[in-house]
Amino acid sequence: MISKNLARDVLNIALQTGGDFAEIYLEENISNSISLDNGKVEMVNSGITYGAGIRILNKLQSVYGYTNDISRKGLEKLAKTLSASYEGQPLFKVTNINKVRVPHKHKPQIKYSDISVQEKIERMKSASNIMQNYDPRIARTMVSFADNTKKVVIFNSEGKQFSDIRTRGRIYMTAIASKEGAIETSGVGPGAQKGMEFFDQELDLKELATEVAKTALIMLDAKECPSGKMPVIIGNGFGGVIFHEACGHPLEASSVGRGLSIFSGKQGQKIASDLVSAVDDGTIEGAWGSGNIDDEGNKTQRTLLIKNGILNDYMVDNFSGRRMGRSGNGCARRQSYRYEPTSRMSNTFILPGKSTPEEIIKATKFGLYAKSLGGGSVNPTTGDFNFACTEAYIVKDGKIAYPVKGATLIGSGKDVLTRVDMVGNDLKRAQGMCGASSGSIPVDVGQPTIRLSEMTVGGRGGVIKQ
Amino acid sequence: MNYNKYFELAEEEGIESLELYIVKRYNLSISLFQGQIDSFTNADTYTIAIRGIYHGKMGYAYSEKNDRTTPQYLIDQVKENAKVIDNDEVPNIFKGSEKYFKKNVYNPTIVKIPTETKIALLKEIENGIKNSDSRITESTVSYEESIEEIELLNSYGLKLKNKSNYVVIYADAVANDNGEIRNSYDFRIFTNFNDIDPDAIIKKAVQNTLSQFGGKPCASGKYKAVLSPKVTASLLGFFLTNVEAEQIQKNTSLLKDKLNQLICSKKVTIQENPLTKNAFFRYFDDEGVATYNKKIVEKGVLKTYLYNLTTAAKDNVSSTGNGYKSSAIGKVGIGTVNIVLKPGRKTEEELFAKVIDGIYITDVQGLHAGMNPKSGNFSLQAAGYLIKNGKKADAVSLITIAGNLFTLFKEVKDVASNLELQPNSISTPSILIKKLAISGL
Repeated sequence: MISKNLARDVLNIALQTGGDFAEIYLEENISNSISLDNGKVEMVNSGITYGAGIRILNKLQSVYGYTNDISRKGLEKLAKTLSASYEGQPLFKVTNINKVRVPHKHKPQIKYSDISVQEKIERMKSASNIMQNYDPRIARTMVSFADNTKKVVIFNSEGKQFSDIRTRGRIYMTAIASKEGAIETSGVGPGAQKGMEFFDQELDLKELATEVAKTALIMLDAKECPSGKMPVIIGNGFGGVIFHEACGHPLEASSVGRGLSIFSGKQGQKIASDLVSAVDDGTIEGAWGSGNIDDEGNKTQRTLLIKNGILNDYMVDNFSGRRMGRSGNGCARRQSYRYEPTSRMSNTFILPGKSTPEEIIKATKFGLYAKSLGGGSVNPTTGDFNFACTEAYIVKDGKIAYPVKGATLIGSGKDVLTRVDMVGNDLKRAQGMCGASSGSIPVDVGQPTIRLSEMTVGGRGGVIKQ
Repeated sequence: MNYNKYFELAEEEGIESLELYIVKRYNLSISLFQGQIDSFTNADTYTIAIRGIYHGKMGYAYSEKNDRTTPQYLIDQVKENAKVIDNDEVPNIFKGSEKYFKKNVYNPTIVKIPTETKIALLKEIENGIKNSDSRITESTVSYEESIEEIELLNSYGLKLKNKSNYVVIYADAVANDNGEIRNSYDFRIFTNFNDIDPDAIIKKAVQNTLSQFGGKPCASGKYKAVLSPKVTASLLGFFLTNVEAEQIQKNTSLLKDKLNQLICSKKVTIQENPLTKNAFFRYFDDEGVATYNKKIVEKGVLKTYLYNLTTAAKDNVSSTGNGYKSSAIGKVGIGTVNIVLKPGRKTEEELFAKVIDGIYITDVQGLHAGMNPKSGNFSLQAAGYLIKNGKKADAVSLITIAGNLFTLFKEVKDVASNLELQPNSISTPSILIKKLAISGL
């Protein structure tokens, strides 16, 4: 998007007041989105986001700026404004810039630009019809489809140039069921760093649509969940959001490096039950959270975070790594040029164990089976978390007894993993958008079915008496 | 900038009417950690979002790239995207309101204050927090300054512009008492640099953190409850999505057919005051309709639904000036600016006295997960304090509050006088609720 010569000149302006590292991140992102409401095309939008971010580091300090004006004038002005934050003489100059070649693993087979809007709409309408016709109590359906192709170019003061192209597509299906005085919503949102082949060959959109409608109806008829302490079985796939929020975020160097995480200084120590091993893997081909390089230009990696209950490693970006006396491991990410990169998750999940999901339910005398979770939140300092169940059942005498709604799971990241007493063999990943200081980024969460010996469950169905 | 090119191209290409929505933003943010500048961001951005009616349907497109090719690219996209629309919405580009209540809310002095002064202010706050108590271990404070200019132009010659700016001060504190770790954070919004009172910010951050020590779950049961302004504002924001005309028309609001009926306690009056001169002031919405102050709920009675042009046309009424986009590039939906829950006369302490024994909720977590704004059911992690003998007492943490929004606003027994403006542009005082289900021990 800009020449090597311009990049070199801008980097040298950035370094003129003693910065020890400078970086230019450029991005052009072409997005398309379609939304259907009750089977009718409601909106189609397309556009370009485009700009550059410049970062200058000086030991543990960082300054960042961004602009849409990537002309020589615009970039030089930004570099000058930012460098005025430091006082000093240049430590070195950038003379040469060389391209670092990284193999591109995540290429779409059928490009979105080769598919017409009408063809995408046909697939969406079919999913919408299935949901709508499933039952008269389905009051409203919404389907949206979004794809984007993002070109990224990074230049840094080590004289390196990196580039990546990331193509993603995602479909959301939502069904709203209602009967007098009650409304329940259910939805799914599968996506990948792949082209149209993901939707046509890997997913069964019809089956997914049926599932969504079915779940909305189950929840419409569900009783209010009772509250109290009980064993909790968490379903595979999006159930992994609990690990993502309560344990994944505290393993990011952005909080670990500042000593603000519950897991700061715990490397090599036991933080989970022996049954738990977990990874962050940015290398999985075509996965929603993968990348060829991270947003600092480092190659993505598979990092073993927890090994048989022992904290093995953190997710580290180069800048946070300075506080920890080490370099990054390919985990620097950002939503766009408007965000300074920091350590973030990519595809993060608990590894499979030996039990079958049936065995786990069979071994539970009384408890909650949280089959699917909504989002959740966690306090990074204390580790306290809260998650809502979007589909849940009471388990009695080793069998699924009845569905419950309004269930929330409450606990703390400090000890939740120590309570895992069964791990299933049915690992599955699911897609989400993760929001944090460097913006909203695509990530996979995941896990097999797991059981926690005890957890606090919140709900409106009265306090449980066993 | 000259935008005539867009209108000329639109006419050549057979676009019936066209609207340009241009947002220019400047941001400065500085954050301090351990006395050092931890992050410093300076940004200038420009977004042009356009929409136009082609063959009776609306097409949308946007760009942050702004060169010679941009107008043609955007016009082409509008046509392409309009072609496939097949819903029965009647699109509308607005000809203009009779009268606009324009005010100048931009404060030019903030941007001229030297960066050093802004950094010195942060250092003062950070030092103040850290030196207040030996148990405080860390504090992060940040300064965020934002200037936003929104310009709306359309092919009917409508030309509107609003420029506003504000400063947000964020302060958090982490404290450790023999291994028990507590933290709190607070945002405050200012439109005048001189209004920033470092001592007040320090005091609140320290108090909010230290007062949580010893917090543990309380017994489960039904409690009389006081909700803090922050908590009330969060719940009110979700409640109000149900008065949006789009939800009513699409049968996804339980407030359908409730106009002029009692939907809240008589203690509850909810206004929308977009013309209040503050950081959120808007005199036109994102379709160019003039905004005005209005009562949404008056003494518990629902007075109006909130409309944009499309939903208003469907119900054969006028837009209430609530056509807002969730971001510059989105579809015009329905939104509000400066919601106010009308304060009462009692202080918060007087509400505690009225409760005698109950709970004071100051924090809720997990709103995006534990809140179902359509059914109104919520189950949220919460923290706060017990109320004993009419006074704020022991800290409570890791409990869940559960209930239903529609019931909760019907069961408001009293409203305090401590009105506070929250970052979501909702101002509310504390409220007293007849009963709230708590799940704790």
